[in-house]
Amino acid sequence: MAGPTATDSADRPTHLLSTDSGRHVTDPILELRGVTKRFGGATALDNVDFELLPGEIHGLVGENGVGKSTLMKILSGVHSPDEGEIVLRGEVVQFSTPAESKARGVGMIYQELSCMPSLSVAENVYLGSQPTTRSGLIDWKSMRRDADAHLGALGFDIDVTSPLRSLSLGGQQLVEIARVVFSGASIIVLDEPTSALSPPEAKRLFAAMHELKARGASLVFISHFLEDVLAVSDRVTVLKNSRKVATLPNEGLTKHHLIQMMIGRDAETLAESYEGGVTLLPASTASPMLEVEGLSLTGSFTDVSFDVRPGEILGIFGNLGAGMTEVARVLFGRDRPTSGTLRLGGKPVAPKTTREAKRHGIAYLSENRRATIFPRHEIFKNITLAHLDTIVSGIVRQPREVTIASELVRRTGVRPPSPSLAAGNLSGGNQQKVALAKWLTVQPKVLILNEPTRGVDVGAKREVLDLIKALRAEGVAVILISTEPETVLAEADRILVMAKGQIAREFSGERVSKDLLMSYA
Amino acid sequence: MVQEMPQGVGAPLVDHVTQRSGKQAALNWASRNARLLAPLVTLISMFIFFSLVTDVFLTTQNLQNIVTQIAPIAVAATGVTFVLLCAEIDLSIASVATFTGVLAAWFWVGDTVSLGAWGIPVAILIAAAIGMLNGYLVAFVGIPSFMMTLAMLTIGRGMSIFVSEGKPIFEVPPVLKQLGSVSSQIFGIPVIGLFALVVLLLGEFVLSYTKFGRYVYMTGANREAAEMSGVNTRQVVMLSLVISAVTAGLTGLLFIGRLSSANPSAGDDILISTIAAVVLGGTSLFGGEGGMRNTILGLLIFGILSNGLNLLPNIPITFKLALQGIVLLAALLLNVFALRIERVQTRSE
Repeated sequence: MAGPTATDSADRPTHLLSTDSGRHVTDPILELRGVTKRFGGATALDNVDFELLPGEIHGLVGENGVGKSTLMKILSGVHSPDEGEIVLRGEVVQFSTPAESKARGVGMIYQELSCMPSLSVAENVYLGSQPTTRSGLIDWKSMRRDADAHLGALGFDIDVTSPLRSLSLGGQQLVEIARVVFSGASIIVLDEPTSALSPPEAKRLFAAMHELKARGASLVFISHFLEDVLAVSDRVTVLKNSRKVATLPNEGLTKHHLIQMMIGRDAETLAESYEGGVTLLPASTASPMLEVEGLSLTGSFTDVSFDVRPGEILGIFGNLGAGMTEVARVLFGRDRPTSGTLRLGGKPVAPKTTREAKRHGIAYLSENRRATIFPRHEIFKNITLAHLDTIVSGIVRQPREVTIASELVRRTGVRPPSPSLAAGNLSGGNQQKVALAKWLTVQPKVLILNEPTRGVDVGAKREVLDLIKALRAEGVAVILISTEPETVLAEADRILVMAKGQIAREFSGERVSKDLLMSYA
Repeated sequence: MVQEMPQGVGAPLVDHVTQRSGKQAALNWASRNARLLAPLVTLISMFIFFSLVTDVFLTTQNLQNIVTQIAPIAVAATGVTFVLLCAEIDLSIASVATFTGVLAAWFWVGDTVSLGAWGIPVAILIAAAIGMLNGYLVAFVGIPSFMMTLAMLTIGRGMSIFVSEGKPIFEVPPVLKQLGSVSSQIFGIPVIGLFALVVLLLGEFVLSYTKFGRYVYMTGANREAAEMSGVNTRQVVMLSLVISAVTAGLTGLLFIGRLSSANPSAGDDILISTIAAVVLGGTSLFGGEGGMRNTILGLLIFGILSNGLNLLPNIPITFKLALQGIVLLAALLLNVFALRIERVQTRSE
């Protein structure tokens, strides 16, 4: 049903004319009218209106999973809406492929940059459209000259002959923006562009965005970082539960307002989303199981200090890129810290490998299923791998492994409970149970869980959380990392908020609410 | 509903596997074991084919010949199986084999360093050291194993020529001669074949019944997940390359025993034969799947094919090498299709 309707020959002249005459200057350049998108039974976008004015920076905010990325994918032609229409420069269009939206001047800057790190900056700017000499060879000279002029015009001071990988991430992002602009985009959608940038780099990006705006481009800025959105946007649209809450001018808006709108106040979701707040327990008086002091890893996080006690769930909340995963990897011996110390049960430890960390009793469940599951191998082999040392003395006997794994499969509620099935045949939730079961053969002292309920269906989510609570009751020190405030609010005894690689705030023994947590992230 | 059990490969079978029926169970079983069944079917059909077409194939002496021919390759293939299961490669096996053989003979002759028969264990230790260097630089320094072992291929070949001054050494320790001779037999089985069998079974034991073996499989299947399960994957990769170098060294010793001389410029074909045999058996080049059972099947296929083609009448001798390559290609295609079915099956469940 989604096919290109307007032919190119018909629409190009109109679009040229329409910029000069007919339409009012403040008519939106791009408009979504009543757009609805469903995936199976789930509604990802529900009757959403969105308008982007010429020369505007438009912020788009909302919690995880409210439809921001679906909206972006509709703009870029990856998805087509089930209902509603897209109006581009006053004319209804249908994008059925990313190439079509690109041809109409919509450029996307994704979180994962799509440039070629080993090529020069100039080559990246001209990716796929290198100028050639009369003999058909690449015209290096004019390519460098033009790329230099082009970047200069945008106010980017970058040496076009240097390889892209020699630039910082922020610099690479600017090159990607230049490429998109160069390929003719006048509408530019940026997805979480600041999540991995240092503050000065983010400033430089904002300057570039203003420059583009001054040149007449329109920008959509999707981000979790509300300060960044407020710093640069002219207007902000808030999405909640697949619907638009409001589009507001930036003047007078505060982070607090945005959070209120994002999490809403309606009674039906009150209990569910914890905006009413929960009261945390006072910190336990038991002596800490794991103490982290002044831990830093250059480029990832600085001066992180905290402790976890046995029988406690310590929640760590933050946005993507805040450095939580990086801290966890250091605790588990996967990366080495630049500085700082760890003490386990009072004794200093410095795990250099994951094996050492495991032997100290530290267990880590990665947020990335590809780093936890062996899909083509049996469930029992997935489970016994981490503690083969303990299970096996001498000869590996599979029947014994199966017996041990069966018990853990039962305990974690893996379905179907057949340990000899390949793990790849299980649903996401059941794979997660297997990944968790791996660390239960031998009770860990410290269990670090990174997004344990992400991509897990509701039933399995409950089971996983119950299991975590049972482990706490048995005296395990649990660190629960999540980008979802609900998860830490519901499960944690004490909560740390991380932002930009640092611990922004610790909450314990007090009343916390979702907006309070989010205001520190 | 399902009319026939498809024998062939390709799209129709994919449709059948999503259906449920009595034959379905059999098909499920077959596709789950495709990695072993495909080479087994290839092996049996080749065996029957050569038995029927030639008079000589199915004679005791010819079968003994086959065993003697594949035994040295079988030893190197054991180590290569470990390396491939880790999702790495070892291109240096042939030159490590030659170098080890040359060293053993050189120590035996003793013009410069005289070690007598002690030269044999010393040569093997040197092979292990080469494997250690390969392994350290691949696993801990991060040179891709393809490039590292390619460099080692050249170093090994160069060192063989350097040590022997480029000339074959015609004296080798008698114990190796005895081991390599066709006439040394126990109950009609060449001793060299029994030696290879012991190495193969040892490989099977380590891979299937020790922790290290499990780590090899899991490291190859998903290195990041293995690392995140507390497996020291670097150590596993390094040890696999050491094993590969040691078995290559043993192969070198068997070769000089069989030929009664050590030739520094011979043995290059060991590399292709060994890797071909292992891959023919169905061990994945991408790691984590396959094993010694596959390697044993692959070795038999390779041995029977090389031997049987030589016995075929009416084929010009000059065409045999090309024909061998073509049949190998066909066998590989069969494997790829069988595994594709297995893969589709896993996904559809």
